Amino acid sequence: MKGAFTYLLLPAIWSSRNRAARRQPGDLTRAFVFAAMGIGVFAALFFAASWVTWQLNGYEELGDYLLRLGLSWIFMTFLAFLTFSGIVTALSTFFLSDDLRLLLTAPIAARRLFYARFARTVAQSSWMVIVFIAPVLLGVGVGRCAPATFYIVSALTIVPFAIIPVAVGTASTLLLVNVFPARRARELLMLMGFLFVGSVVILLRMLRPEQLMRAESLPDLTGFFSTLQSPVTPLLPSFWAGELVFASLKGGWDLMHAGAIWSTALVCCVALRVADERWHFSGYSRSQEAPKARFAHFRGIDRIARILPLSPVRKQLFIKDVKIFLRDVSQWSQLLLLLAMVLVYLYNFRVLDLSRIPYMSGFIKNIYALVNLGMAGFVLATVAVRFVFPMVSAEGRAFWVIRNSPVDMRDFLWSKFWTGLIPVLLLTETLTVAANELLDVEPFLKSVAGVAMLFLSFALVGLATGLGARYPRFTADNPTEVSGSYGGVAFMVVAVLLVIAIIALVGWPSMTYLYYQVRQRPLPAFRLALMGACFLAAMVLTVATGLLGMRSGIRALDAMSN
Amino acid sequence: MIAVEHLVKQYGRFTAVDDISLDVQPGEIHGFLGPNGAGKTTTLRMIAGLLKPTSGRVVVDGHDVAVEPELAKSSLGFIPDRPFIYEKLTAGEFLRFHAGLYGLDGDGVVDRVHEMLDLFELRRWEHELVESFSHGMKQRLVMCAAFLHRPRAVAVDEPMVGLDPRGARLIKDVFRRMSDRGVAILMSTHTLEVAHEMCHRLSIILKGKIIAQGTVDEIRRLAGGADDHLTSVFLRLTGGSALQELDEAV
Repeated sequence: MKGAFTYLLLPAIWSSRNRAARRQPGDLTRAFVFAAMGIGVFAALFFAASWVTWQLNGYEELGDYLLRLGLSWIFMTFLAFLTFSGIVTALSTFFLSDDLRLLLTAPIAARRLFYARFARTVAQSSWMVIVFIAPVLLGVGVGRCAPATFYIVSALTIVPFAIIPVAVGTASTLLLVNVFPARRARELLMLMGFLFVGSVVILLRMLRPEQLMRAESLPDLTGFFSTLQSPVTPLLPSFWAGELVFASLKGGWDLMHAGAIWSTALVCCVALRVADERWHFSGYSRSQEAPKARFAHFRGIDRIARILPLSPVRKQLFIKDVKIFLRDVSQWSQLLLLLAMVLVYLYNFRVLDLSRIPYMSGFIKNIYALVNLGMAGFVLATVAVRFVFPMVSAEGRAFWVIRNSPVDMRDFLWSKFWTGLIPVLLLTETLTVAANELLDVEPFLKSVAGVAMLFLSFALVGLATGLGARYPRFTADNPTEVSGSYGGVAFMVVAVLLVIAIIALVGWPSMTYLYYQVRQRPLPAFRLALMGACFLAAMVLTVATGLLGMRSGIRALDAMSN
Repeated sequence: MIAVEHLVKQYGRFTAVDDISLDVQPGEIHGFLGPNGAGKTTTLRMIAGLLKPTSGRVVVDGHDVAVEPELAKSSLGFIPDRPFIYEKLTAGEFLRFHAGLYGLDGDGVVDRVHEMLDLFELRRWEHELVESFSHGMKQRLVMCAAFLHRPRAVAVDEPMVGLDPRGARLIKDVFRRMSDRGVAILMSTHTLEVAHEMCHRLSIILKGKIIAQGTVDEIRRLAGGADDHLTSVFLRLTGGSALQELDEAV
């Protein structure tokens, strides 16, 4: 056992066991909330997949064809995700992880260390994909009343399917770390992020889902499907995985693609191990130079701060927070992923040609405006929990500098609030305005959505800043750990409830207004008063949430100082 | 036991370690002195196999670190200046895992772990998580780990930083005892009293080059002040005498 690579995975297992045995306050609540959310997502994916499969059963050969294509597309999407995830994870597990300082001084064979790190990289990169793909395949199986072999083959397909792209991602990292000086790690990660964003956009462009909305393209159905199929090249593991799973769904065996996927995974492992034994140490040695990495001075931020009408304390806090955020490489990759999601989101609105749906386009458009408000609200909550909530914790062990200086905690926290609010507001307003503009919704709804997003941003940024100060984690290694803490989960629960409440409070009067406008009838005074009350309630609710959140945070910081 | 031959480390155009050579004999405590940024930590990290030298070689117990890394590392105990310990493991779990990394197995491991915990006065903390330890306790735990596999050579970077007087005395005693048993110890330190008190020989490094090597008396003579305190000698050799004059004036 002690000679096996699995021995090197023991600290992670023991640490998890110890963490579970020594629960912190709120851990149970957090586990419950996460479990409930997980079960919800699992059930939704399972029922959606089984419903779609069930519907396709009625179309015989076309249904089979679409199912086969769908499986390949699912695997294709995850292939891109796994490759990118492999690049980012390998940078951490193979080169930047702290425990390497311990393991590399021990007499461990390079091969053994490689297998341990690669197993960890595959697990960390692919767990989310497995969580998403498992209910989908289960749903497809149930929808098709598949034989037991389908489930066994599916499980056996996911393993090599995850190994291949992660190995390719790890090899890319190995190459990049050896070619580029590690002091350019930041630029490297940004490059990877942009590559990923580019690939997502290209993938969407190739899919051209907007064609489904064009009635005149229906006679050219074969052309449409050939467009769908074009990137699904038989040379990619996603195609082999799709074929393999589909064959087992029909009760057959596809030994050729099984051989292809397993042998490729094996070859990838062996080739990567040989490359790792040859180049890992030189890459790791270069990565030790990272503390001397080049950094941008961001003098523009100093100039902006000079213009802003802020007190000297707030000015310096603003400069510090913005510079630290921009110089922290780990923040960038996640920000880029978020931008990719936003691009995809907006792209969907651009290609959605609702005018092709007769009679209903106006109604659907306005419904979409409310859906968009909800989506932007959830994006706002996610951004706030990831970037705003950890802002106080990000002071980390340097928080004594603030606590020992004559800085009013109110000043400190409001400075955090404004630093968080401006970029968040820019993002969410752009998202709302751009999507509504692309959909060409009613001007009244555009204004309502824009103002609602302004108030919602105030509320959620205030709540995130305040709860972040109330439940700080100054010893956390990274912001993600802070976001996933008890306070972060509590924030998400409140934020989701608030977004739903605001959509209800804003949606009903907006729809009432449009209803009377379409019928060209004057609004009765009673309705008008009710509408005003709803808008006012939404305003009061958001302002109160933001202010109460901030007050709670300031009190917690004051109590800490006393 | 530890032989460093013409070691060079360059970061781009900057030379952090410039053609240094030193030799630590079995049973010798060799002090590695130098001002901040002189290249001490970089040298020790190359000896430990954490950094790849630009040129030169490191031999531990007859094994070249670049050619036979596993054999060289199994003879070496390394105590870094900023050690990594798994915070969510207990002291006992960390040491048992460490023992496994060095191939120690069987019933003897538990006894050896207890022996080390007793030696560094950490036995009562065996089942506590490392995250609850003070800096000094963590430092002592890392030393437990470094001596656990009975290394024939030890490279240690700033061992006294953050230790209370009792902890410092304990470490000095342990190092002396290990040295008596034939363990070669290469110790970088800023604390000149410690170097004076413990080291058989010293190497003084400045801007990546070794500028003086020998016993304390030899180095005193080299600096031209036979009766001087080691601090004065060190400052004279490393160009910090003006600082000392300023200090005395103040």
